[in-house]
Amino acid sequence: MKFPRALRFMALLPLLFLGGCSTEHFWLLNPKGPISAAELHYMILDVSIMLVIIIPTTLMVIWFLLRYRAKAKAAYDPTWSHSNILEVIVWGVPILIVAVLGYYSYVGIHEVNPYNPTILAKHTQANADPLEVDVITTDWQWLFIYPKQHIASANELVIPTHTKVDFRLTSTSVTNGFFIPQLVGQIYIMPGMRTKQSLLAEHEGVYHGFSAALSGGGFSWMQFKTKAVSQSQFQDWVAKAQQSATHMTYADFEKFARPTVNIGQKTTYFSAVQPGIFEDVIKAARMGKVYPTPNALTENMQSEEFLKHSN
Amino acid sequence: MLVDLQGPWNPIFGRLGLLLEVHYNNPVLFFAFELSVVVGVILVFWATCARKWGYLWREWLTTVDHKKIGVMYILVGLVMLFRGFFDALMIRSQQAIAVGPDSPGMLGAAHGYLPPYHFDQVFTAHGMIMILVAATPILVGIMNIVVPLQIGARDMAYPYLNALGLWLTVVSAALVMIALFVGDFSHAGWVGLAPLTELPYSPGVGVDYWIWSIQIGSIGTTMGAINLIATIVKMRAPGMTWGRIPVFTWTSMASNIIALTSFPVLGVTLALLTFDRYLGTHFFTVGLGGDLMMYTNLFWIWGHPEVYFVVLPAFGMLSEIIPTFSEKPLFGYVTMVIASMAIAAVSWSVWLHHFFTMGAGPNVNAYFSIATMLVGIPTGVKVFNWAFTMYRARMRFDTPMMWAIGSIFLLISGGLTGMMLSVPAVNYIVHNSVFVIAHFHNMFLLIVYAAFGAVSYWFPKVFGFKLDERWGKWFFWFFTAGTLMVFIPMYTLGFMGMTRRLDYISHPAWQPLLTAEMIGIGLYAISIAMFVIQLAVSLRDREKNRVGADAWGTSRSLEWASHSPVPFYNFAVTPVVHARDEWAWRREHGLTSLRPDRYLDIHMPKNTAVPLILGLLSLAFGFAMVWRIWWLAAISVIGIIVVIIYRSFDKDTDYIIPAAEVEKMEKEFLERASKIEGDAPAAGGAAGGVYAAPQAPTKKHQGD
Repeated sequence: MKFPRALRFMALLPLLFLGGCSTEHFWLLNPKGPISAAELHYMILDVSIMLVIIIPTTLMVIWFLLRYRAKAKAAYDPTWSHSNILEVIVWGVPILIVAVLGYYSYVGIHEVNPYNPTILAKHTQANADPLEVDVITTDWQWLFIYPKQHIASANELVIPTHTKVDFRLTSTSVTNGFFIPQLVGQIYIMPGMRTKQSLLAEHEGVYHGFSAALSGGGFSWMQFKTKAVSQSQFQDWVAKAQQSATHMTYADFEKFARPTVNIGQKTTYFSAVQPGIFEDVIKAARMGKVYPTPNALTENMQSEEFLKHSN
Repeated sequence: MLVDLQGPWNPIFGRLGLLLEVHYNNPVLFFAFELSVVVGVILVFWATCARKWGYLWREWLTTVDHKKIGVMYILVGLVMLFRGFFDALMIRSQQAIAVGPDSPGMLGAAHGYLPPYHFDQVFTAHGMIMILVAATPILVGIMNIVVPLQIGARDMAYPYLNALGLWLTVVSAALVMIALFVGDFSHAGWVGLAPLTELPYSPGVGVDYWIWSIQIGSIGTTMGAINLIATIVKMRAPGMTWGRIPVFTWTSMASNIIALTSFPVLGVTLALLTFDRYLGTHFFTVGLGGDLMMYTNLFWIWGHPEVYFVVLPAFGMLSEIIPTFSEKPLFGYVTMVIASMAIAAVSWSVWLHHFFTMGAGPNVNAYFSIATMLVGIPTGVKVFNWAFTMYRARMRFDTPMMWAIGSIFLLISGGLTGMMLSVPAVNYIVHNSVFVIAHFHNMFLLIVYAAFGAVSYWFPKVFGFKLDERWGKWFFWFFTAGTLMVFIPMYTLGFMGMTRRLDYISHPAWQPLLTAEMIGIGLYAISIAMFVIQLAVSLRDREKNRVGADAWGTSRSLEWASHSPVPFYNFAVTPVVHARDEWAWRREHGLTSLRPDRYLDIHMPKNTAVPLILGLLSLAFGFAMVWRIWWLAAISVIGIIVVIIYRSFDKDTDYIIPAAEVEKMEKEFLERASKIEGDAPAAGGAAGGVYAAPQAPTKKHQGD
């Protein structure tokens, strides 16, 4: 059987998938805060600058492939293998592009730098107090402590819109990544260490947040909803959380931090949160505190042992 | 015992008692086990029935011939490529099934059919296998075969060391395969994320398998690197000046300089982790002064140069294939050499881009961002040079050329996404997402394309017949369709925010694209069948497809100036090199006759079983260390030392083939070659075997 020549290019059909592009589920193309918007801006900038060189090169290669086929009987020059002008171009153009991209990379990193994102200054009033949130990851849950409000929330983050939120992050055991694609890029959360992040939500809504770094068996279930609400709704929520009957001391935290797979997407609010838990977690980790994973905890998710360790 | 272990341990069987705590009875594993056992039994049965054991022992297991060692490297690589593909199939099928909280689960999983414990091992094994025991052996194998031929050497500088490198790589692959059935494998990602690899979070033997497999294999790779560098520096034929070395050899040189300088870093890193797990030190734990960031730094100080270690030979292959099928010299030879070395140099200053998100300051990130972009310059130059090689060419699209062209397009798209990742502002939103996965698979596929191209390009040189073109093209197109179908959805999922290493997919909007990836994997599976058929058909028609010395008719470098298949001594007499594209120069001057002016004695290394024995002892050592069976580990180490000492006293390691015998063997080769159509012996004298040809350009015309 002879396969029709032209139909060979059917192998390229999957390119049509590009036609499915829309922004609704494309979190990275649909930012809801200034940081993620800036990140998208630099992505578009980077791709556009690269395309200036990539599109002509691709077309050139395709043109050469068609033009200089043996069958096409085009001009053939079997000795041509050097040209000073072309040398200058082939080195010069990439150097130029890299210089431009390098400049924007430098500017961009300062705008969205997790420790001091300059882009947020343009979106906040000079004397407005930012909301402070301490993020602690355990295996495999999220704990968000609001130190000034003395409340904490497990596996759910609630923030007011148009307010700068400053995070301090640490982990009890292994590394996680704090990531809310539509609001802010990633920062690692590491045991015994403290990283920072800041964000601002411009639109109310519920955004997905999750760990972006593998942290073991319960990692895939390790997500939290980020609810960006208005200032008054936020105050209501704080008041509600402060009424919660569940309290949290460091001893309670140690129970909370035992390996737990959050299969059921369980969220809990804590009131009367003991101050300084964040610092205690870092200190404990540095002293060698571990929350060991039982041997092969997640090998059978229907087993007794697993159910003991799941939400 | 210096550390407390979960589970049993006893002095005779070590931790093997863990196996009695039946972990999980998964049909997937039983299928893999049956497949391996059945294939193994068939092979043993065939070897016994066909009385092949003696042949295998003499010709393959104890050989020091660089071509046979190369072929074995490639075979190991292909087998592990197949294993790694199966892992990929499991990863993607699990993800396509386990979508949404209501998706069903089976075999002990809450969703899909792989519990996290098993799934994490699968992707760890996939990554580790594909990079360290699939891509690396295939590339090292091709370098092994081609480099000595391209520079006119008889063998590698250290043939015994070469065989040892191979067998240590085999041990690495064997340990990964053993982990599949005896115990478990690491579930901490192929990079061994600290402190997830530490004992409290990985209490089983999986991480130990991962450590020892990589540790032993990387010693083999380092030996191979020493060997190739020494070969290129010291074993070049007369006239093979630095300015005439073929570009593939140059890139092999650059690549092995990277390997030689980076693999020791990996060795030290893994040794420190070993101390943590075995002796209870705290190098990478958080508590008591350890630092997990140190692990990440050290790992990537090896890991990023390793990326260029595998990509540079691929660039070299393209630089050989494209000129051959363009019937033109490579455009910008000097530039290509400089670019290769520049890539090797820059490879050392980019490692931090793997963890922009670890909280480094903006200026540190900016430095590594720009350093990473610098790699794009020489790489861009290479793309331009291949394009200009095609300019005013007379191109034929044989299978190797198809793969090479595929490579160029993959390099262009992979370069674009690489430049995106190198910008920290962008990296913050795509780091650890499947966008990154798509990017580096894009780059690795470039390597795979180049390697498949290289395999079909140099196959006739090694075996004396061509691979079937028709099935080769089917293979190419199905493989390409699979590539597009898997990786375009994967890039797209990256923009949708999907993270890598997910056992459970909480966001149902990702499902259609995950299903598309499954279809792509199916296309890959079909392409594997095409490849197997291609091999079978080619083997069946081998008499019809016999080729002469110059299999493609337009080949350019020195390896084509020997018989196909190449005799074990490579060249009847050491060739004298006259030009950069030596074979093209000889063809131009009508000097394609392979009959030299006179024959001389040939000095060759003797076969030896020592590398194989050392390999077996290393396997025993690795296995013993994984299961903490101290007595067996001690015995194997002592055994290794004794064998090495014994070998160092062995003075009878080489022999001489007398000129008369060479002449006899050569006569047979020439007679057989004369029967092949289109390979009539050329008029004119010998092309500079013992003496330079009279047509050789004088010094001032050489142009280098």
